[in-house]
Amino acid sequence: MMKGSIIPLFVAIPLAGAFLTSFIGKKIEKLPDGLGLFTSFILFVLSLSAVRLYNIHGILTYSVGGWRPPVGIGMVLDGLTAFMLVTVNFVAFCIVIYSINYMKKFTSKWKFYTLFFLMLAGMNGVIITGDIFNLFVFLEIASVASYALVAFGTERHELEAAFKYAVMGTVGSLFILLGIAFLYGYTSTLNMADMGNILATNGINNIVLMVSVLFLMGFGLKAALVPFHAWLPDAHPSAPAPISAMLSGVLIKSLGIYAICRIFYNVIGINPVMSSMLMFLGTLSMVIGGLLALRQWDLKRLLAYSSISQVGYIILGIGLGTPLGILGGLFHLFNHSVFKSLLFLNSGAIEYSTGTRDLREMGGLAQRMPVTSTTGFVGAMSIAGIPPFSGFWSKLIIIIAAVQAGRYGYAFLAVLVTILTLAMYMKVIKYAFLGNLQEKWNKVKEIPFFMKLSMGILAFVCLVVGLVAGMAFLTGMDQTFIHRASETLLEGTRYAGIVLKEIK
Amino acid sequence: MNLGNELFKFDALANFVGIFITLFSLLIVIYSFGFMRQRKGMFQYYIYIILTLLASLGVVFSNNLILLIVFWGFLGLLLYLLIGFGQKERTPSTAKKAFIIIGGTDALMLLGLAFIWKIAGSLTMDKISIALNTKVAIWTYLCLAAGAFAKAGAMPFHTWVPDTAEDAPTPVTAFLPASLDKLLGIYFLARITLDIFQMNGAMNTLLMGLGSFTIIAAVMMALVQHDLKRLLGYHAVSQVGYMVLGIGTGNPIGIAGGLFHMLNNTIYKSCLFLGGGAVEKRTGTTDLDKLGGFAKIMPVTFVTFLIASLAISGVPPFNGFVSKWMVYQGIIDTSKDGSYLWILWLVAAMFGSALTLASFMKLVHAVFLGQRSKEQKAPSDNRKETSSSMLIPTVTLASLCVIFGVFAYQIPLKLFIFPSLKMTDTVFYGIWSPGLATGLIIVGIVVGIIIYLLGTVAKTRETEIFVGGEIVKEHPEMRLSGTEFYNTIKEMGFLRTIYRLAEKKVFDIYDIGKTITSGFNKVLGTLHNGVLPTYLAWCLLGMIILFFILLR
Amino acid sequence: MIIYLLCLVLFCCGIYCILRKRNIIKIIVGIIISEYAVNLFFILTAYRVGGRAPIFSSEAEILNMVDPLPHALVLTSIVIGLATTALLVAIAMRIYEKYGTFDITKIRELKG
Repeated sequence: MMKGSIIPLFVAIPLAGAFLTSFIGKKIEKLPDGLGLFTSFILFVLSLSAVRLYNIHGILTYSVGGWRPPVGIGMVLDGLTAFMLVTVNFVAFCIVIYSINYMKKFTSKWKFYTLFFLMLAGMNGVIITGDIFNLFVFLEIASVASYALVAFGTERHELEAAFKYAVMGTVGSLFILLGIAFLYGYTSTLNMADMGNILATNGINNIVLMVSVLFLMGFGLKAALVPFHAWLPDAHPSAPAPISAMLSGVLIKSLGIYAICRIFYNVIGINPVMSSMLMFLGTLSMVIGGLLALRQWDLKRLLAYSSISQVGYIILGIGLGTPLGILGGLFHLFNHSVFKSLLFLNSGAIEYSTGTRDLREMGGLAQRMPVTSTTGFVGAMSIAGIPPFSGFWSKLIIIIAAVQAGRYGYAFLAVLVTILTLAMYMKVIKYAFLGNLQEKWNKVKEIPFFMKLSMGILAFVCLVVGLVAGMAFLTGMDQTFIHRASETLLEGTRYAGIVLKEIK
Repeated sequence: MNLGNELFKFDALANFVGIFITLFSLLIVIYSFGFMRQRKGMFQYYIYIILTLLASLGVVFSNNLILLIVFWGFLGLLLYLLIGFGQKERTPSTAKKAFIIIGGTDALMLLGLAFIWKIAGSLTMDKISIALNTKVAIWTYLCLAAGAFAKAGAMPFHTWVPDTAEDAPTPVTAFLPASLDKLLGIYFLARITLDIFQMNGAMNTLLMGLGSFTIIAAVMMALVQHDLKRLLGYHAVSQVGYMVLGIGTGNPIGIAGGLFHMLNNTIYKSCLFLGGGAVEKRTGTTDLDKLGGFAKIMPVTFVTFLIASLAISGVPPFNGFVSKWMVYQGIIDTSKDGSYLWILWLVAAMFGSALTLASFMKLVHAVFLGQRSKEQKAPSDNRKETSSSMLIPTVTLASLCVIFGVFAYQIPLKLFIFPSLKMTDTVFYGIWSPGLATGLIIVGIVVGIIIYLLGTVAKTRETEIFVGGEIVKEHPEMRLSGTEFYNTIKEMGFLRTIYRLAEKKVFDIYDIGKTITSGFNKVLGTLHNGVLPTYLAWCLLGMIILFFILLR
Repeated sequence: MIIYLLCLVLFCCGIYCILRKRNIIKIIVGIIISEYAVNLFFILTAYRVGGRAPIFSSEAEILNMVDPLPHALVLTSIVIGLATTALLVAIAMRIYEKYGTFDITKIRELKG
């Protein structure tokens, strides 16, 4: 029990942070920043130590309130969890650094931090919980916080986007709850490991298939898979830039993709039909998101559509179900978290300095904002899959995996979308940073220090991950950290046995 | 397992290409000292050049396909950054276009790489040998070849080359599209064609067809250009055709010819671009209508330019002739398998060569001969040769043109080409001894001069004014700029339509892609109409479809 | 069985309301309706034929009781639903301030 006691901290700390910020942050002006930075830093360090703990001890569990699962609520730390925790908390940490300067233009920073940490608590909760209803609760905490954050600016577009997002998100949650109800009725348990065990012995039947459709729709909506994606291009651009980064960077992944992975691999158990369903949806999102992104002139909206497209890659990789595919999918998940956050922060930096998001009004900003343009360039190259940046490797792995699995058509489409991605980011760079500086931007200033720092860290990670991945790729990649995460998924429903053994 | 051997290898072909990559980089750096002086960001510029050199060497020496593609993709990025140093209005668009075409084909190469892993189970190049007998293998070859084609600038991925030539700084054009990218593209094509795949007849025919088409189409486009650098850019495309043709023949002499032509083309094409750059630096324009009469002002540049022009046109005794000759022999050699297509290829190659000569006649006339245009009748202090740092590279390259032509067999072929192909010797059809021929040519020229001198004594014939074989119609300034040459070609019925379509960029793969995607975009854009119930309806519809599929 | 069907009917009513009504308040009501339909269904999974309330007493040994868990869960989900509804209504009010309409088809500045 001692070993696992780190696990609930991932929920407790951000909740405490949210509470403290709202309680005392109102009165002291600088406090929310300091508190936010402190909390998110601790979370980041904890997530790293969780990886270490997992590497030493293997799967760890924690029983909430001392009630042993499957009766009580269990929390599990395994490879996938550790991986997701690092991703989420790292990005959150960078975003908090960025917000110190950026959020100055909004009043009441403490509200922002409160909602932010609530959302973070929800995401961490979704990741570490081992109980399916608990997962739903945390998912709703994160979602509701994110609806509120999208509306944070309370202007026309923010409100419209938040409303659409909230309605669609709620409908998605409804279907998830319905699915949970069916599953509970069928298995009489809520513990995911236990459920997985029972489902594995009973085999696949129509109820399970129906539930999987409900989950696919519900979590697919959270992950913004086409055709459930329509809220994303409204919601993500409307939020303040740090929140856009958080939403696109990690929220759709922890709420959508992580949940899909966990439920389809470890609870229901993947079968060929579902696998091809996932691949189809992934490819569809990839292509449609890519095509739509290309026609946007609003920078953040372009980035949002591109998120849909990149999520498609991740789902394609995961849907392949082969070790290489899952590895590629998860690696791309991490990379996308990093570079999409970077790009959204970048767009925020441009908006911060110039006050516009329209690409046609920009131009030549590289001359005035060298740090922004350099980091933006790194992010764009990374997402476009140009070696040696990180995105190249994950796309390479996904394409190789698709070919290995004999899915030539999907591999070809993945390649085509790579070209589309390149084209759309070349468009961004050309219109935003290159060309002649317009007169009205002559007095544009570079952004403040903390924003630069945060973007610098993310850009650095893009490059370093690319180089490290390259080395790992050329020398053999059995021992990497993501590999452990993909092993968790590959164990499939045997996960249940391992977790339950650990509990008893 | 020794990782070093897995990742890198130093065989004769790689060494040969590597040596020349280094040489060209050095020349370009020297040239840039003169050309790029007084511009901003020069520190970055030289960093990029050095990185380009390193990445190119990486491509050449890597033995692992992934490593190769990493360097290859990185080169595309560097190309983009380097084109960005151009100062024209259109430079960002051009850089974007070049990068999208290159990056796009790089993505295709990734697919090819994935296929190779699937088929051969290894990515170490010297361990792979794939027979082109399955569909997948053919696709693999095409994917990889697309990358090589785009890099080298062969059709149909060529469209970035002329644009880049026009809008990028001249040293960059001479460095990447004209020399390094050619070397690397053809190097990779040779690698996959010779080492990785076992070619078959159909694929060879396809390569030869593409090569011939590239030669003719690009040179036809070059004929009607009005911009010095753009014209050279089209020639850069056209010459790739010979290399692809040579490699496509699949017999030793043809392949050796193709590789030799790659080397030669790099030499004279860089020389031409650098010479053109010298003119540009002096005048600030590359518009042929505004140039003229520079032979007197810049004699050294003129001579080097002339040598390079003759070399590219395949006039003996310069190097271009030897390699073209070898390619022709390779083509004739393919007649052994009983098909008659070789006649077509041979005609295309020779005709292309003639057209090249014709277009260079126009170019040399427009830039160096003729009268100076009004705008360029500058004060006399302009009468200077360019700076020495810009002359050294051009002179070096021009002398290489001559040396590699006259001593073709002794130096380049024996030292570089034959070892790379593991050939000991080869049979030349016909009698061609460069040394002897040079002597004969010199004798011929002397005799010609004598006849000319004698001829001036004879009675002359009066006729309309004509130049370059065509009647001159309008000459308001009493000045022939040379750009009017071959305008009649543009007016010929069938060709007229083609030129017109080409001007609208109907044949540009980049624009085709743009049109297609924007079509999809419009449809998808109208679907996202902002009405919430519609979006919800999609969700439910999607779910119902999923139900149907899963619960069938 | 019939009660399950009624539950389904209620759910469909809610979905219909979300899809077909233009007024955003009605859409919110639709969401609430379908939410309750799902909650109802969840409660129904607890039902055992002839079961009694799951209350321990010393009088008699309990042989057949309904499953107590879903009740707890549904309470949680009702609370979540409440939070969502409150947020949605708050946003709807603000939208009315800005757009001057409740018609969802007229609130469509974000598109394409």
